[in-house]
Amino acid sequence: MEQRVRNNMIDRDVFERLCGAIGRENVSDSIEERGCYSFDATNVKLIPDLVITPHSTEQVSDILSIANKHNIPICTRGAGAVLSGGVVSIEGGIALDLKNMNRIVELNARDLTITVEPGVVTKDLQDEVVKSRLFYPSESGSDSLSTIGERVAVCTGGMTGMKYGVTRDYVLALEIVIPDGSVINAGRKTLKSVAGYDLTRFFVGSEGTLGVFTKITLKLLPMPEKIGTIMSCFKDIESALNATDSILVKSHLNPRALEFADKTCIDAVRETDNGKIPEEAEALLLIDVDGNEKNVTNDINRIDALCRENSALKTLITHTDEERNRLWDIRKSIYPSLTKVASVKFDEDLSVPRSKVRDVLKKVYELSNTYSLEMSAFGKIGEGHVHLNVTGSSVGDADVSAYDLVSQILNDVESNGGTSISGLASHETEIMKDLKKMFDPKGIMSPGKIFV
Amino acid sequence: MKLFQKTKREVNKHQKALNELIRVVGEERVLSAIEDRICYSYDATKQKVIPDIVIRPGDTNDVSNTLKIANKYEVPIYARGAGSGLTGGAVPLMGGIVFDLKNMNRIIEIRPDDFVATVEPGVVTKDLQDEVAKFNLFYPPDPSSAAFSTLGGNVAECAGGITGLKYGVTRDYILTLEIVLPDGSVINTGGKPGYDLTRLFIGSEGTLGVFTKITVKLIPRPEKIQTLAAYFSDKDDAIDAADLIIDNNILPRTLEFLDLMTINAVRGYTGTDIGKDVKALLLIDIDGTDESIGHEMPIIENTCEESNAFKTKVAETAKERDAIWATRRSISPALYNIAPHKINEDICVPRSKIKEMLKRVDRIKEGHTIYIANFGHIGDGNIHVNIMYGDDPSQKELAEIIVNKVMREVVELGGSISGEHGIGNMKSQFMELEIPPHEYEIMKKFKSYFDPKGIMNPGKMFIR
Amino acid sequence: MTTDWKEEVSKCSKCGKCQTVCPVFLETGDESSVSRGKISLAEALRDKQIVYTEKLRDHVYSCKKCMRCRTVCPSDVDYEVIISALLRGVADEMGVPLLPKIIFRYILPRRILFDLMLRIGSKIQRFIPGRKRGQMRHLPLLFMGKRWMPTLAEKTALSKFRTTQKLKNPKMRVGLFTGCLINYIYVDIAEAVVDVLNRMNIEVVIPQGQLCCGTPSSSMGDHKSSKQLAEVNREVLESHNLDAIVSACATCTKSIKLDYLRTLGPSWQKMSDKIYDISEFIEKYCGDDYKTKPLGKKVTYHDPCHLMWVRGITDEPRDILKKSSDFVDMDMAGSCCGGGGIFTIIHYDLTLKMLERKVKSIERSGADTVATNCPGCIMQIADGFAGKDSSVKTTHSIQILQKALANGDVSKEK
Repeated sequence: MEQRVRNNMIDRDVFERLCGAIGRENVSDSIEERGCYSFDATNVKLIPDLVITPHSTEQVSDILSIANKHNIPICTRGAGAVLSGGVVSIEGGIALDLKNMNRIVELNARDLTITVEPGVVTKDLQDEVVKSRLFYPSESGSDSLSTIGERVAVCTGGMTGMKYGVTRDYVLALEIVIPDGSVINAGRKTLKSVAGYDLTRFFVGSEGTLGVFTKITLKLLPMPEKIGTIMSCFKDIESALNATDSILVKSHLNPRALEFADKTCIDAVRETDNGKIPEEAEALLLIDVDGNEKNVTNDINRIDALCRENSALKTLITHTDEERNRLWDIRKSIYPSLTKVASVKFDEDLSVPRSKVRDVLKKVYELSNTYSLEMSAFGKIGEGHVHLNVTGSSVGDADVSAYDLVSQILNDVESNGGTSISGLASHETEIMKDLKKMFDPKGIMSPGKIFV
Repeated sequence: MKLFQKTKREVNKHQKALNELIRVVGEERVLSAIEDRICYSYDATKQKVIPDIVIRPGDTNDVSNTLKIANKYEVPIYARGAGSGLTGGAVPLMGGIVFDLKNMNRIIEIRPDDFVATVEPGVVTKDLQDEVAKFNLFYPPDPSSAAFSTLGGNVAECAGGITGLKYGVTRDYILTLEIVLPDGSVINTGGKPGYDLTRLFIGSEGTLGVFTKITVKLIPRPEKIQTLAAYFSDKDDAIDAADLIIDNNILPRTLEFLDLMTINAVRGYTGTDIGKDVKALLLIDIDGTDESIGHEMPIIENTCEESNAFKTKVAETAKERDAIWATRRSISPALYNIAPHKINEDICVPRSKIKEMLKRVDRIKEGHTIYIANFGHIGDGNIHVNIMYGDDPSQKELAEIIVNKVMREVVELGGSISGEHGIGNMKSQFMELEIPPHEYEIMKKFKSYFDPKGIMNPGKMFIR
Repeated sequence: MTTDWKEEVSKCSKCGKCQTVCPVFLETGDESSVSRGKISLAEALRDKQIVYTEKLRDHVYSCKKCMRCRTVCPSDVDYEVIISALLRGVADEMGVPLLPKIIFRYILPRRILFDLMLRIGSKIQRFIPGRKRGQMRHLPLLFMGKRWMPTLAEKTALSKFRTTQKLKNPKMRVGLFTGCLINYIYVDIAEAVVDVLNRMNIEVVIPQGQLCCGTPSSSMGDHKSSKQLAEVNREVLESHNLDAIVSACATCTKSIKLDYLRTLGPSWQKMSDKIYDISEFIEKYCGDDYKTKPLGKKVTYHDPCHLMWVRGITDEPRDILKKSSDFVDMDMAGSCCGGGGIFTIIHYDLTLKMLERKVKSIERSGADTVATNCPGCIMQIADGFAGKDSSVKTTHSIQILQKALANGDVSKEK
């Protein structure tokens, strides 16, 4: 051992067992490495005792079995790029990193399915299936970092959620190691199956609290012939929202993605936009449409017209993949840019009925003035998802204000029939706790996650 | 005729329960005459067991109160929508209570701006589809029983249908559920963080609770639909054509296959002109705008021709379209032209295994005087294998042996014993072919967690 | 009970598709209302799980006998056979209620008594106040309920047309089977038939010995009475040596053309082949022979169950109306109006619900007149509009044709 194990959660004996089971080279107790696993994108700092990187299902099984026996908590991590306090939930224990389980096990193009290990990076999967002219929807800003295992654990939405739904809609089967170390197989590698209870989908989104995914079978779709992209800049938020209504509700156009960003977000990325976004722009929409060539052209032109009808200052239609990627890079850089501008105090994912986005945003900016805090909003407003950021540059009182502010907004959201990530009612919570106990009686899997 | 004999104590307990139920729910919501109860003893599997009582709740409170009492006295309870299920889901195997939700059938609200609708469980699927169509919206899951089956039943079975390949199935369209659990408590799932209880309950076949409100996701309604029929002299060509269409990056709204046995049955039945040389048929719908259809249809036609279709027919008018689809709809009754009895299986195999599956079915059938018609949703690998057999008792036995063999082959090929009809009690004997013991035990644990007294739809899904 | 109902019962695959079209099920949501449910009751009777009781009788009587279920049944169950057997079972085991029995067995077969009974009624009606739009508020008499009933005619159709209007060189000689409603109430429909056919050079005989077609009797399972009536009608119709027989009542047509094949046996086939609904007949034999000047009225058409669902006739009446008026189709033209005999008496509330739907459909069509080919439907729908104090007129399609012919016939204008 290079360093003493800091915590007495994992004693010498257990350490030996773990090394014996999966090989010393896959178990790390170095403080530097453990430090790397101490945070993820929400800046929470908790340090595990050991970092373990298994290579196979058997190894995962052994690890969990040992941990379960000795009551050692385990948190699983893909690449840690997923938000909402994803990985390390308590101090100490084992951080399980699946980065070495990153094989594409089999691509069955004819079946429209692919089976992968959890550590496969999303972008790598997408690149692989493109070769067979297939695609896995669920594009998001973190594709080159996040892993499939993570996405399934959290059930991410992704930017294509509008048209293509969420991760859960594409998970067909899972091989899962549950806390006692046993391996179960849920689902079938067929496009349809209804035999018995839907364990597969039950596990999706369980955030590592019920077990570890060691194989994931996903459904694929034929790749659309073309993707068309348009960015529209508006002089105010109202116009952008009106344009959204026109596109989605009045014209029933079915974009693949529709993202919104407000002034604060735009300002944060201004230096990367190469002058594309006008100074006066206070809101922008970034929209993708896919399908065959003709359809895409028609739809993009329609959207262009609708945006102009709604006082768009400028619209920009891309004609090449590079142009398209550049626009999306701007969008993907919003969040990181915001943290650069100021230390982000709070962020919250709101989910409201689509038609209530307007009211919620209004409230957000109202409160922003009241509390003199910088609020910014961006996100998939087409689906009613708003990502809210409260930024400030000082600590102390601002903290309290930010909390108040967000609470008020959350209450507003609730009364508007929506939910945010933070809310959960009591009976359902009790049930979930009981189900968690069913799989994890000793409470070793990602303790403190989901249930506070 | 009850499958399970009741002890005297059980009978007394039931009587107490029935009295309390009538008191709590009200006379007018209870049917106790045998002439009424007989009408609730079956579903589309022709099994018949007369329940002790039929209760027709009006709202969530009624459902909750009934379940509380049923739970207290341990009276079995069987939820029912239209009673159109094909696997015995609604059949009250142990007598007890049939819970008729047909008249809890309000469309509570449609919010076109949010692309959602909320309904009570007794709403007929087609009624919802028609209502949302008025807003130019679309609820895609379209089981063949959509004109009479209910949303509650659809959710309980996770119904599929002909639009499954392009649009997915019921579980992909449910946003939230209000569920009454066996102990009478009411929970709301969906749209919240935590475990996906919604998906756990979808497809639970009435064994975990009763749905009292269902919120569904809607999508924009496609502008147009166009239909094509392609005729082949070899079923492998038809299967290849289906593959090629998808290879061309087109997901048709429907992609249906009929084999020779099916075609022969239909030909005699509807008198549609399907020539003698047709040995396999593809029925294809594509939807979208005029342009996208204009773009895709020629590709599909070419693809079929490239796969040796000797004729393709694109419907030019609504009448022609109806005629083509009448062929598909007439399959079920037409099969009775072949033989008087039928076992209808809806297996699903990985797409690449379809040809092999059909080969194996042929092999199983070889040498026997029995008929097997294969047709269905070839796009997603969900084939309806229909075994037609005669009156002789040995025929029934043979049919059941064949089903057994077919199920084994399906599982061996990585497939599923049911793509959309569910398990009920008709397929519970095959569950363990597909579900390994550990997973089976986990499922039973879920069942005993939610329903410790085992009152919800007993006798379904699990054998023991 | 005959045995063929057992065969039909075993054909039912319990799929539930009949739920999609059954007008009674649409209102009640009760499985006992729909064919599949009634079939399961027949099975239970067959298997001796139940016996005939009042409850069973209620269920049997709740069938509208519109036969819509037959048009969608994938197993092609002859539901008519089953429901008839059930009705007969009810009558045999529980007896036919006294008053209807007296009417069926003693009054219907005796034209004179029938006439007398109704003539007395027509005299009495004069003293009943509150006429509304040609209807009169009916007393809660016997079994009729609170409805707007049409007045009885002064002179019956049979007596009006005792002597046949002879034509010089008629193309054909047809008999008109009037049926009770037309004979006693809607005599002008009979007049319209004679008028129209005469204009098309077809001689019309109204055989005097004809009796009630027997539908009321069979709808209560009184097969003794319906057989009795059928036999007299056979004799009467066969004795007249007619080229064809027409009827302006969809129910009577169904009865004498189809039901009589069961009651009288296959020997009736030859006559059955010659029996037509009036629109059917005109389209078949006189399609191009006449000239109309369409009336300015906006007319819509209601499909009587017995014409549309039992016989599949939907185009002929519409074609005639298109030539005779400004025709508009209504939505759900084939949905049951709720009218027709025993059902309306026993299940008045359901009848009202079905009627309400029909009235709304008609209103949505924007028509000022609704035409149909069944006096039972006319009576029901007129009841619906009278209750609403509406100006929509209800009539028979033959009457629209009659007016349009008169309009277009310049030579006859004097």
